[in-house]
Amino acid sequence: MESVKYQSEPAVVIKEWVEAYSDKMYSWCLYKTNSREIAEDLVQDTFMAAFQSIKKYEGKSNPKTWLFSILNNKIADHFRNLYRNPTVTESKINQSSDASFFETWFDDNGSWLKEKRPHAWPEEDAHLLDNKIFVKVLQSCMGKLPPDCNAAVQLKYIEGKKGEIICQELKISPTNFWQLLHRARLQLRRCLEINWFKK
Amino acid sequence: MKKIMHWIMLSCKKATELIEKKLLTKLSFREKVQLKMHKSLCDACTSYEKQSKLMDQLLSKHIHDDGDGIQSDGVVENDDLKKKILEKIK
Repeated sequence: MESVKYQSEPAVVIKEWVEAYSDKMYSWCLYKTNSREIAEDLVQDTFMAAFQSIKKYEGKSNPKTWLFSILNNKIADHFRNLYRNPTVTESKINQSSDASFFETWFDDNGSWLKEKRPHAWPEEDAHLLDNKIFVKVLQSCMGKLPPDCNAAVQLKYIEGKKGEIICQELKISPTNFWQLLHRARLQLRRCLEINWFKK
Repeated sequence: MKKIMHWIMLSCKKATELIEKKLLTKLSFREKVQLKMHKSLCDACTSYEKQSKLMDQLLSKHIHDDGDGIQSDGVVENDDLKKKILEKIK
């Protein structure tokens, strides 16, 4: 009798899900956050949340879809917090390096440095995502962005909302937000050009 | 004349900043004219804007992926994490 009762325990269901999905969830999180520690925390939080609200789940959707929707909310919260409360060291570094950052892209007149000048890309189409090698290049270029730039990029696309709305919700200045995106764009564009489009 | 030139001519640094702003929100009339003038004289920034738009399309699709975007060869196994979670729900 006891074993039958045990079968219906949420802990057993969660255990199955951990076995089936935790690696994939962890990998997804690791790729988004570039931090093992944060990825582990977010996946743990997700399973804790799932454990506590498993009665709401009721098998209405695929467990994987349900778990990933919780996980993606946790990831969005993580980037919101990162953007709102960057660690003291990070924000200090950014302030001091703002001028030196742009010095590596533009000359004193604000013109492109010769070696950084953008070139036209040969194949400019939106089907690039079907190419697994391109996706890998894109992922590795995203991974090279500084944490605050990456947070800004993730926030811009994660909910597909307009810039003004994101800024209102986060109570941040639109100017700061788009300036971070500007820096992210310069780096990401260049990384894609070198590692994909030039080849 | 000098004043007009200053009003019209943007640096590439400023032009790329406006391109970013345009993708996020709206440009003022003055900014629109400035950017248009700059692009008519600058191939690099014209390419930059085109590429930025492409990157926007790619990123919004890619970031919206629900985790299936991770290819099977990209899955990292983490047995310690499994143990930690199972410990917590005991």
